[in-house]
Amino acid sequence: MNKFFIKNSHIISFIFIPVIFLWHPNWLGFLGVQPYWPLFWLLPWSMIYGSINGFIIGLFLGLILDSLTLDSNFSQIPGLILCGIVFGRIKFHSDILVGHFRYGLICSFGSFLCGTLYFLQIFFKNFIDSNFLLVIPSLHNILAEVFLTGFFAPFFCSQLLRLFKFSRKKLQSQI
Amino acid sequence: MLDIRRISTRRWWHKKKSWFFFAIFLFLVFVRISKGSFYKDFYYLISKPFWPGQFQKEVIQKSIDQESLIKLNLLKKDNKRLREILSLRESSNNDEISAAVISRKTGSWWRQIILNKGSKDGVQIGSTVVGPGGLLGRVNNTSFFTSSVTLITSPESKLGVWVDRIQINGLLVGLGDDYPSLILYSKDADIKVGDFISSSPASTLLPPNIPIGIIQSIDEPFKSKKTAKISLLAKPHAIDWVQILKLNIQ
Repeated sequence: MNKFFIKNSHIISFIFIPVIFLWHPNWLGFLGVQPYWPLFWLLPWSMIYGSINGFIIGLFLGLILDSLTLDSNFSQIPGLILCGIVFGRIKFHSDILVGHFRYGLICSFGSFLCGTLYFLQIFFKNFIDSNFLLVIPSLHNILAEVFLTGFFAPFFCSQLLRLFKFSRKKLQSQI
Repeated sequence: MLDIRRISTRRWWHKKKSWFFFAIFLFLVFVRISKGSFYKDFYYLISKPFWPGQFQKEVIQKSIDQESLIKLNLLKKDNKRLREILSLRESSNNDEISAAVISRKTGSWWRQIILNKGSKDGVQIGSTVVGPGGLLGRVNNTSFFTSSVTLITSPESKLGVWVDRIQINGLLVGLGDDYPSLILYSKDADIKVGDFISSSPASTLLPPNIPIGIIQSIDEPFKSKKTAKISLLAKPHAIDWVQILKLNIQ
């Protein structure tokens, strides 16, 4: 049973991303905004398995999360794909403490990227209606999300990275 | 030798009677300053046993309720008849489904709630969802067990609304924050802060006269449009139970 969980830790944790995304715990929020949960999983995965895998898993994550949200006109796929590619090019840092803070900064940047791409989609869709009132709430969303994602990233990413590394080692030793 | 004259020790302040009158005077001054509040409170206490009893209050309340009910039924019938003449959409109170909110995204980009009733329970896409206070949104998607509701605060939401005081139709557009925007396509519309907004009687998407919100602030007119921020009566971030209205398309 334990072996099964170690082997399939990335799949099991992957399944929990949409669950947390839907759960949306208010007590973890800031100004009504939640951290961008998929990045916490995508960063360690892409760092271990590289840009191409990051690209593919970013696409998968985007497809799942888009299906959970009702906005048929806007997609999270571009942001997550881009993050998957960028995160795949990041190398591990030897200093554990610096590495921890780095996760925060990288996830903040990723959240900013995803938020901006999502906002641009909304902006261009409403550009014809001259509905510029959307800009202020969108900026509020981006900034709050960037802060929260950066704040929680060191806790989640380091644990997931350790788990993925361990399961990979186990799988390689069996082969 | 000095002749010591005997001084009388009986002055006015030595008399008890004087002090008694002084106390009465002070009391009257107090009564005057307090504008008789002492008397009123005293009267309140002594008259309490003789007040109109609870029974009488109930009788009056019952009569008022009956009167209101009769009036309401007459108005309902009248409303139904008029709506039939105008071929407008109708809602029926018998077709309500109570549902619990199982997922809530009321901040961030996505403004939606997920309910624990789905197609299994007869929820249809397009059904109106109301909560304590008024309108919350419309069902956008259903699964076998759940239904997803687009909130009226979502940027995807655009609804026809009615400003009751000035009898004018407007468009309620979600902006992605807690205050959707009311757009009136008339520069001279005389809207005021505090005006009540309900679903439009002419709407083909929503049942009529569902309370939505109150005008919180009015923006400067822009290109023959007047816009205002609406404070919603139903708070989606706090509501746990909602009603899904099944609609009969006429």
